[in-house]
Amino acid sequence: MAVVLSITPTRFQASGSKLDSQRRYIRKVASGADFKFVTGQNMDVAGGGLRYVDPDGNNNDDGVYSGSFTGAAGIGVKV
Amino acid sequence: MSGFTASNSRIQVVETVSSVDQTVFDTNDDMPHIVATTFLSGQTVDFSNLTQTQNFWFYDPCAFYYTYFVWQTHPFYGAYEAVQVTECTGAPLFEYSVDAREYSSETTIADLPVDEDGNVVDIDFVVVQATGVRTLAGKDPRFNQALPTTVPPKTFSFQGSVLLESSGKANGDSWLRRIMSVYKSGTKLKMKVQESTASLVRGAINAPFPYVSSSRSTYSFSLKVFFGKFRQ
Repeated sequence: MAVVLSITPTRFQASGSKLDSQRRYIRKVASGADFKFVTGQNMDVAGGGLRYVDPDGNNNDDGVYSGSFTGAAGIGVKV
Repeated sequence: MSGFTASNSRIQVVETVSSVDQTVFDTNDDMPHIVATTFLSGQTVDFSNLTQTQNFWFYDPCAFYYTYFVWQTHPFYGAYEAVQVTECTGAPLFEYSVDAREYSSETTIADLPVDEDGNVVDIDFVVVQATGVRTLAGKDPRFNQALPTTVPPKTFSFQGSVLLESSGKANGDSWLRRIMSVYKSGTKLKMKVQESTASLVRGAINAPFPYVSSSRSTYSFSLKVFFGKFRQ
């Protein structure tokens, strides 16, 4: 039978364990992110080359790219 | 210490691991969640054939040689004999280049989800789960082989953009890129298809690119789109 609500000194479970303190729920943080959600276009092409904007917002060009695309940094989340 | 607190405006769960309290769940944090999902089948992508230009290189005054014989009397022996004569004729020489091209096409593929009051939900991110197939494999204009594609044969997920095709010169420099992006724009979900081609010169005289008219590629995608927010 699913656990409706269980509170012990070392564990919390609710809603059939859909909420469980032993799981790692991710949440938005301003710093110290474990990884980032990309929020928009993060590649562009020009002059036969490619620009990739990484989740930190840094431009990574292939040495051929000749455009001026500006991508946005992703939203950081903590596990 | 592991714990659970609940109040009118907050639920918080803390897990203590190695004597360090770690927040597991906190309604005061912005927590990513999916607010809506939509399925978009039959999304087509079409990159048209590349083009090439014949460029004048130079005029060779002796591009072609030909020989013929003439009968004449030998100046010393007096014999009547056939003598081989070689002459040449000029011709213009050409080289060919794939034309540089920048192509971009943005289309609306869906409306953003709405809430129970009919108001558009201002989503924070989109996750796309794509299943696609290259329905026409364009050829590299130089070779009788398809342009390399990075689309896997099975379902793949991406956020933002994905590289579809690319090709390089002999020295490794990129000269062709084809990409696709899916993103939120205002109250719409957009798909942008882009191609960038640098001029590519063929290192041969009077020899056009043999497969330039077979360089068109097409794709068909089914997209499962997850619309996400960090806070209600």
